[in-house]
Amino acid sequence: MQIIRTSSRAAAVALLALAFWAFPAEAQASASAALQELSGDADAAVAVEQHWIWEFFSYAASEFLWIGAWTAVKITALAMAVGLVLGLGLALMRLSGLFVVRAVAWFYIWIVRGTPQLLQLVFIYDALPYIGLKFDSFTTAVIGFSLNQAAFSAEIIRGGILSVNKAQSTAATALGMGPVLTLRRIILPQAMRSILPGVGNDTISMLKLTSIASIIFVNELTFRAQQIVGQNFRFFTVFAAAGLIYLILTSAISLAQGWAEARFDLERERRPRGETLRRMFGFRLGRKSAAEIAAPAPSLAPAAPASGTETAPAGEDVFRMLATSAGGAAKRGEPFVVCRNVQKSYGDRAVLKGIDLTVARGEVVVLLGPSGSGKSTFLRTINHLEPMEWGEITVDGRHVGYVPAPGGGLRSTGGLAKARADARIGMVFQHFNLFAHLSALENVIEAPIRVFGMAPDAARELGLKLLAEVGLSAHADHLPHRLSGGQQQRVAIARALAISPKLMLFDEPTSALDPELVGEVLQVMRKLADAGMTMIVVTHEIRFAREVADRVVFMDEGVIVEQGPPSEVIDDPKQERTRRFLRVMERAAPTP
Amino acid sequence: MAFKNGILLAASALAALLTLTGASNAQAACEPSKVAEKYPSLAGKTIKIGADPQTPPYVMRDKSNFDKVVGVDADLARATFDCAGVKYEFVLGGWSGLLPAVMAGQIDVMWDNLYYKPARAKTVDFVVYMKAGTGALVPAGNPKKVASIEDFCGKTVAFGLGSVEEQATRKQDEACKAAGKDAVTMMPFQDLAAGMRQLDSGRSDILLWDLGFADASVKEAPTKYARAFAIISGLTMGAATANGNADLIKAIHDGLTVLQAKGEQAAIFQKYGVDPSLEVPAEVKLD
Repeated sequence: MQIIRTSSRAAAVALLALAFWAFPAEAQASASAALQELSGDADAAVAVEQHWIWEFFSYAASEFLWIGAWTAVKITALAMAVGLVLGLGLALMRLSGLFVVRAVAWFYIWIVRGTPQLLQLVFIYDALPYIGLKFDSFTTAVIGFSLNQAAFSAEIIRGGILSVNKAQSTAATALGMGPVLTLRRIILPQAMRSILPGVGNDTISMLKLTSIASIIFVNELTFRAQQIVGQNFRFFTVFAAAGLIYLILTSAISLAQGWAEARFDLERERRPRGETLRRMFGFRLGRKSAAEIAAPAPSLAPAAPASGTETAPAGEDVFRMLATSAGGAAKRGEPFVVCRNVQKSYGDRAVLKGIDLTVARGEVVVLLGPSGSGKSTFLRTINHLEPMEWGEITVDGRHVGYVPAPGGGLRSTGGLAKARADARIGMVFQHFNLFAHLSALENVIEAPIRVFGMAPDAARELGLKLLAEVGLSAHADHLPHRLSGGQQQRVAIARALAISPKLMLFDEPTSALDPELVGEVLQVMRKLADAGMTMIVVTHEIRFAREVADRVVFMDEGVIVEQGPPSEVIDDPKQERTRRFLRVMERAAPTP
Repeated sequence: MAFKNGILLAASALAALLTLTGASNAQAACEPSKVAEKYPSLAGKTIKIGADPQTPPYVMRDKSNFDKVVGVDADLARATFDCAGVKYEFVLGGWSGLLPAVMAGQIDVMWDNLYYKPARAKTVDFVVYMKAGTGALVPAGNPKKVASIEDFCGKTVAFGLGSVEEQATRKQDEACKAAGKDAVTMMPFQDLAAGMRQLDSGRSDILLWDLGFADASVKEAPTKYARAFAIISGLTMGAATANGNADLIKAIHDGLTVLQAKGEQAAIFQKYGVDPSLEVPAEVKLD
């Protein structure tokens, strides 16, 4: 529908342009006669009054004006391209953690936005030669407009980046994606939706504003129109013709903007590459869709309906393969995650007050505890999503992004992203945090390809296997917003598994789900536990803890209150705090 | 730096003096083949002439070919540099950007309806060649019977913002009020085309602007416009270069002197409807 509408719009414009060109071509002869008339001596000419419309068209088609328009287009295109690149840099500087960097960017934007552009142009053209920097008119215009656009687009881009949910970059970080990769692949594509309208506006403004560059000898459209008017004073036809030329150019910009917005629109129907062509002509170019690749193996990937709890018989192999093939020094049953005296505070409030915990390879540990007990924070210190202030955590005998500091403690290293990637820790979030602009399959294969350098075809194969394993083969090409919460969370689990993790962290994976969707997610987690994956799960699902966990750890107010097998901690708690919490949970829990 | 400027200034003054004394003795003739010996620093160089093609009749686009600039100043500049044998090109931009560009060295000479003023001469060097004047342009037939500036009382007058015409009109306005007559309604404008629209639409009774333009307009369209009166202000117009371009100033001065002697300057004036009596002998003004 969208495409039809867009193409009909394009056709209409093309038609208009054709009509416009054809018209004056016909009128050319009489119009040029009119011009001859004008050029003749007025006292000699008993002017045959030409209808003004011919004169208007002859100006609208005049090469003299179109050369000026072309100059304006060139300046706008170049300055916009340079301005956007500089603007992105400035936007990132404005978002920097370093005060000096932020201040420099702020100062630049303050100066450039706050002073008239006319004066900036004159300054570059006429003042810089005194210090030996001499640019010609066109270069000056491009420089001047670029620098100006950088300041304005910096704020537009910053707004776009801020409009993308922070959870998106958290998820990317957990997958081992570095800041640049996250920006390029995750943040910017989503920010484009809010960036594009502003950029479209600025492009149109700039095209028209290039007329001020006449002060530095740029002969663009408006200035040329003024010259004609200054010569013959026929302002109405000349300015109307210049207006029409501007309208044609700005219409082209609007069309380009519309196309670009449709490109980044998540609501629109997504078709695999070549699908539109296939529907129109019955054939297609390019690679096969995910559904087609999955199709030849129906036994492996039953097209599971939304309930999706049934599992593929052969599928268990994928989980087991992942759980057992992930390398590492520790053998099954040996200490794998070792936390010693982990401390952290937010401002004055201590969140973690010295956590000691050891998780063995292949063990499933459930962290229970009331809200604000520090469970989630602790989980995030394990893969260094949150830095700790004191203590030590090793995963498979190695620190994740820490090196010993001179004082005996630890300090964060540079290259955190690589450290996280090397640790191969998968994480699943309460709110799924799927990349909103990527399909289910693209979500799964993003990190394997971009971070771990997996061949795209192999990654797609693995991704489709994993999606089949979580019962979602039929949804491989769907965007997250078209999936239910339970389906999204299962995609998120597949995504975390795709990096071949040695350890899986679950941060309240079912808390944001409707009760009837909880089961399908727990089913997948249960299967993963059975396959032998080392898992640390923060959850309020007492039943899951009882049935799946090897060990339950109860936390409250930043400390571990008690821990042990579920039969002890859940069914026969020693501590009053644990008992009180379990009583509350039982009352709140829906009857199974 | 100041010292260097001083030397340059002295050198250029000396050069100009030589030029002036030399000019009166020398045979008035164009010698385009002798650039290297007469103006060594200009040899092989292309002079950039800065002009705004919205300033008729001085510089404007050719009606039949918009790619060409014509006009009194454009034709004079061409003839002058052809005479000297120096290559040149026109660099076109907004009028208010021309003088800064000369000072910055982006263009070599501004040659476009520029009044010589002592304050301006501190920053650039001039060769003046014509008297400036003010013309009062009115609709053909002069329906309001304007014969002199004293007739402005009770009328609507359009003039350029910040121009000598504005000063004259304001002075007259005071005079009208002092004499108990109706005040002058003043319509200052930013660009000449806007002022002409004022006159064409009857929003203004009188357009007060440069005399050369007023005369050219009347010649162009005698059925539309008439000149009510003219004021010769005593100001002169000239071409301006950055300080210290002794060769360039000399070339312009030599060229104009030849053109004036041959009557070519007067012919150019006449071609565009400008009164040839506005011509003054070419003269270098350094300060």
